[in-house]
Amino acid sequence: MLENDYQFSLLLFRKDGSPLGSASVNVDWEPAVEATRFLHARHGLVPFCGEGTAYLQPLWDKLEGEPHIRGFRVIFEARGSRPVSSEFPSRYFREAAAQASDEFVKRGKLEAGETYLYQAVAHRNNGAVPANGAGFLLEAVEQAPAVSLSQSCLKDVQSRSAPVGVIDADDMPVFIPRRILDEVVTLTMQTEHQETGGILIGHLRRDMALPEIFAEATAQIAAEHTRSSATKLTFTAESWNAATAAIRLRKRSEIFLGYWHSHPVKDWCASRECSLEKQKQCRLAKDFFSEDDCAVMRAAFPRAYSLGLVANNTATEGVTFSLFGWREGGIHARGFHVLEETHA
Amino acid sequence: MGKAQTLEGISLTVSDVSGQKLFKVPAAPAEATVGELVHSLLSKMNLPENDSNGQPLAYQARVEREGRHLHAAERVGDALQSGDALTLQPNIDAG
Repeated sequence: MLENDYQFSLLLFRKDGSPLGSASVNVDWEPAVEATRFLHARHGLVPFCGEGTAYLQPLWDKLEGEPHIRGFRVIFEARGSRPVSSEFPSRYFREAAAQASDEFVKRGKLEAGETYLYQAVAHRNNGAVPANGAGFLLEAVEQAPAVSLSQSCLKDVQSRSAPVGVIDADDMPVFIPRRILDEVVTLTMQTEHQETGGILIGHLRRDMALPEIFAEATAQIAAEHTRSSATKLTFTAESWNAATAAIRLRKRSEIFLGYWHSHPVKDWCASRECSLEKQKQCRLAKDFFSEDDCAVMRAAFPRAYSLGLVANNTATEGVTFSLFGWREGGIHARGFHVLEETHA
Repeated sequence: MGKAQTLEGISLTVSDVSGQKLFKVPAAPAEATVGELVHSLLSKMNLPENDSNGQPLAYQARVEREGRHLHAAERVGDALQSGDALTLQPNIDAG
């Protein structure tokens, strides 16, 4: 549950500092709350899941003062634990600012693509309660899902793995067996002119000695009942059903860790008649996660440990991988570890 | 007739598609439609209502007991029983 006593809005300016106006914004606080909770859960300070209350606190700008803010703090309280908090800079409002700028473009006050600046401000709500659009009151209390964090030694798992990409020490460690990546390559090559994808499943493990939580993928489940094209992959309700059924059949207490999908980059580039040299530099060829990709994360994998793996099918390097995950309430490219499995 | 429900409403558990967001709803209003219930649940569960283009996301409510997706126009009191587990499943595009 989130308790917010403030109304946040944005002041927008042109690049030269001249004011454009203000915009009330609807900020998605959930990723910030999730980030706060999970960061402290990793360190064993709050329960990993279940009921809790989060409070928002503006961080006033030291120069401009109230109502101008330099960011905000999320304070999270769970029963039986001390309150924990995390601070978020004003770049958290970047997406809301982009939406607000669209309005100024529509009103003709800003050119499309024109650079703008924004300043977030916060005012007390004065007791105003947001309207419930549903027309009825509904109580919903968060419960702890049936997830067990098995004890494991992070160092042992690391010793059987090799890092890929830039490993940020602040990110939850992630281990993906080479076997899974090989399967993803095969599936990507089989449908090389269209996007394909699946669900990553596995376990969250806890190393109490550190303490730390880390994720170990155990399988990918190729998505069924999807609709796909060269630029889009639609996960349908039936896709989620099939993946859930597969997890139940496996009976290994695995959970959804995230999803993967392919980017047929070489087809994208071919359709634009890009040279091979240009394709090597193409921003779509590596670490590209579209707004739609982020939307899947937000709708289906909102937990802070969730992952989005992209298989980039390129003309110059074959299939490469980019992994994305939540960090400080946003989705970022991140490193991971390729796990080499031993077989008796 | 004969379905277990309190005077106040129907008790449900509701999860997101990953199963990692789980909520207890003590009293879902029997007179509401499933569409209205889903709309209200999205807000309570902090799930997005729109896609990246601002278009409404289509969520389907799957009732585990019957293994079927409910129609938005169905009445909660007709379609659900106390103790039912619902999963909200979006149709959503990766790009």
